[in-house]
Amino acid sequence: MYKSQDAPQQNDGMTKIKIEEAIGTRLAHDITEIRPGEFKGPSFRRGHQVQEQDVCHLMRLGKRHLYVLDLKEGQVHEDDAVMELAEALAGPGVSFGNDPKEGKLQFTAAYDGLLKVNTRALVEFNLVPDVMCAAMHNNVPVTRGQKVAGTRAIPLVIKREALNRAVAIAQDQAPIFSIKTYHRKKIRLLITGSEVYDGLIEDRFEAIVKKKLTAFGASLLETVILPDDAERIAATVQQFSETDTDMIVTTGGMSVDPDDVTRHGIRQAGVDTLYYGSGVLPGAMFLVGELRGPKGRLPILGVPACALFHATTVLDLVLPRVLAGEEFDRNKIAELGHGGFCQNCVDGCRFPVCGFGRGS
Amino acid sequence: MDDFNTLLQGSAKAHGHMCPGQVVGVRMAMLGCRLIGLDNPRELPQIKKLIVYVEIDRCATDAIAYVTGVKLGRRSLKFIDNGIMAATFVNLETGVAFRIVSTESSRDLAYLYTSSGCTDKRQQQIEGYINMPDEVLFRVKPVRVNVPIHDMPGPSRFKARCEACGAMVRDKKEVLLNDRILCRSCAYGSFYQELENEERRKIA
Repeated sequence: MYKSQDAPQQNDGMTKIKIEEAIGTRLAHDITEIRPGEFKGPSFRRGHQVQEQDVCHLMRLGKRHLYVLDLKEGQVHEDDAVMELAEALAGPGVSFGNDPKEGKLQFTAAYDGLLKVNTRALVEFNLVPDVMCAAMHNNVPVTRGQKVAGTRAIPLVIKREALNRAVAIAQDQAPIFSIKTYHRKKIRLLITGSEVYDGLIEDRFEAIVKKKLTAFGASLLETVILPDDAERIAATVQQFSETDTDMIVTTGGMSVDPDDVTRHGIRQAGVDTLYYGSGVLPGAMFLVGELRGPKGRLPILGVPACALFHATTVLDLVLPRVLAGEEFDRNKIAELGHGGFCQNCVDGCRFPVCGFGRGS
Repeated sequence: MDDFNTLLQGSAKAHGHMCPGQVVGVRMAMLGCRLIGLDNPRELPQIKKLIVYVEIDRCATDAIAYVTGVKLGRRSLKFIDNGIMAATFVNLETGVAFRIVSTESSRDLAYLYTSSGCTDKRQQQIEGYINMPDEVLFRVKPVRVNVPIHDMPGPSRFKARCEACGAMVRDKKEVLLNDRILCRSCAYGSFYQELENEERRKIA
């Protein structure tokens, strides 16, 4: 109980009292402490009963007054509000902590997969006053337990009406956040190039593709090396498509030389769709298509030779999405152009901790 | 909390027999509770403050559950199938958590802590584990455990219907696979196989 002789100041569900009169009262919100380079977080939690020895600590944190909770009808405390917000925002594969701190909650991935963000709904959500939500980019591969987004009620006390509006936006356009699991697991690789087939140079593609696949839980079941012969390429692609393959990858033969016939071979194999050329550098001569396999849609990716030289290419943007079941059409490939320009960082590749591919 | 001997006898009775695992489990649970500041975890209000993660489904796990009162059905006992004789005790109120691992070396050192002169390995372990200091029997580390909302005790907040088999999946255990919300069995395969009609008839 506070004993101020002064009239307490009202502030939207909070009553302000002097700190020296706060002993015995319970804090209405977490109190954040920042020690540069060392600690940032709540040093006193909501509900903590202020002790005599706390007063000096609170004063060191710059506190001369404290809020006592005094909620009116139609007002919700930030920690209660954020639980409602999080519940509405978290779709399949997305969870969050059980303990809001400073009115904030963070979302985590419940399993490995591709983060999907309903970006239009997120904008609409953030237009509601007094709430916010920040997320990683759409289509980013995430791993189990990784933090992917955060939300909070901005003031200590939020109006029920605003809270309901934000929750309704999230519920009506659900899911705002979801994780698509990678379900394409069995991959077959076709390496094309007469120079490799004839043993003039050693193949380096298989190791690169294998490493990238493994990162998303997929396995390379078979690798075939062929010369630049469209008919043989078509026959092998067809043969792959008749097995239990989840996805076919071809490498090489994607450029403009007369010997670059891989895409012709793929077309001859009888694809339903084929898109050649992408809005990404490196990776302009990328191909993505689809055949019919025994299990339904069977994607095929044609990787140009740039993937031998550059650590990160269009393949790194498209691969996780296809493994998670996404289909690519002309529009989706074109959208990759925004953010699709690799900086070729001289001090080493930082992908995925960079802007490459994050605009789509 | 009762004393060690009372808890050990009770635990052995609940489990079905006395064994080295009962001693390890009872001691692990008593130490874990002490480290996270709980002295009566089986009763209110402390019963709601504790979650224990066990990493093996063997004898000691029953002893831990007996001493602490944690239960799968209350969602206070979590089973992480790692095959490691370890348990992590979490005080939900304070966030303080300790992971305790039973040392492999304690198995060979047990005889050093026996006074009865018994030569039976199992009896040596029971006696040795009773007398062994904590630092020989266990490795203890303070840890942080972020218990996600879908793993918390209390009413189920989340429900989703599997689009393949129609089962209601609670607590965010569903999977988004190829744009369909599925239960884990439909997404990844089940641990059981459906019987063919002929096999069913044989059983009927």
